[in-house]
Amino acid sequence: MTGLYLRWSALVIVAVVIAALTFQDFEQHLTSLTPEDVVSLQPTRVVRVIGLVKGGTLGGDLESGHASFELAGRQEALPVEYNGPPPENLRELKTLVVIGAWDSSSGTFLAHELALVTNYGYVVGAYLIGLLPLALFLFGMERKVVLLYREIKESKLYEPETPHHVDTR
Amino acid sequence: MMSALIKWMQRYEGWVGAGGGLCILAGLYLGLVASPPDYYQGEVVRIMYVHVPLVQTAMLAYSTLFVGSLWYLWKRDPIVDNLCHAAAGISAFLTALGLITGSIWAKPTWNTWWTWDARLVSFAVMFLILAGYLMLRTFIDDPEREARYAAVFAIVGFVDLPIVHFSVEWWRTLHQPLSFSMRGVSMSKDMLIPLGVMTVGFSLTFFYMVMIRTQMLYLDHLLAAKKGRLLSQVHLSSDVGSSSSSLSTP
Repeated sequence: MTGLYLRWSALVIVAVVIAALTFQDFEQHLTSLTPEDVVSLQPTRVVRVIGLVKGGTLGGDLESGHASFELAGRQEALPVEYNGPPPENLRELKTLVVIGAWDSSSGTFLAHELALVTNYGYVVGAYLIGLLPLALFLFGMERKVVLLYREIKESKLYEPETPHHVDTR
Repeated sequence: MMSALIKWMQRYEGWVGAGGGLCILAGLYLGLVASPPDYYQGEVVRIMYVHVPLVQTAMLAYSTLFVGSLWYLWKRDPIVDNLCHAAAGISAFLTALGLITGSIWAKPTWNTWWTWDARLVSFAVMFLILAGYLMLRTFIDDPEREARYAAVFAIVGFVDLPIVHFSVEWWRTLHQPLSFSMRGVSMSKDMLIPLGVMTVGFSLTFFYMVMIRTQMLYLDHLLAAKKGRLLSQVHLSSDVGSSSSSLSTP
């Protein structure tokens, strides 16, 4: 039984490490600022900004990968200049994530990439529902097999049976 | 006397289980950290690395049940019946998980939890067939008759598997078409590798689970049979007034 618990403890530790790495990766690469954050912080490094493409502001030549629009937050609207691959997901009144840096000389956000907004709850939920019950089911079966072997061993049920003689005379 | 099949399982279960666990852990790292997001679906595509292996393994489990049922009808080996019973229970479990994770993936991509699509319905029917199989096994008292009826039921139910697989080809469905077909592979290598590693991991884990569950069912039956025999001997010895039985009660 000790072996079973040790094996499963090791498995849980490795799974927790992978979960921590995943969370760290998402925190580093997928945390998004709001247009209000960009206006106040004016970050010069590359950041992700989430907002709504304001109606009536989308211009430029989308097919050649150049676009200008305003990305609206709750209170502020951020002027964005996009230069990158032709954006198939760029439409007015669509919530998007724009990736780029603030240009203080022109007062605009220079974006080079657009990304869809993701609800990570779906991803986390699918992995937890897919893997956790499976692990518990397997652990329960392994534990029961160990207990059954122990019960059989302790009951000495594998011992060869002595012929049961019934005297009918 | 322990069955040769059970001995074989005891010998190899550790390797199969370790292989499955390592592949799943590696697949989790590749799928969640190393692989890129999809251009259209974004990060939600990562659900694929758990949903698709679950569904494929559920179908592998039913295929194992089908082959095992044919084998049982041919050889009438009760250990093979234990194997079929084990595969059916695991397949039902994997099918349920496949349906739930598929539903979670459908919400952000199709904007609905469920739709009456040919692939979804035929897969849900597979779950109902497996639930029926497991229920049938609880209705019949005679173990030999139970095993025989269950084997026939599983073989008849196998007709649903090709329907599940080819439903996206035969009918116009919302579900994406086959990624692996005679036309080739319609997936980038960055996504194919984690998906392949996870599928191998789930398949090995399924075989490990079958080995464990078959032993569990076998030991359950063995213990029940031995206890029954001990009990009958105790009764017999008290009836006859003999004191020759030296067996201990479990």
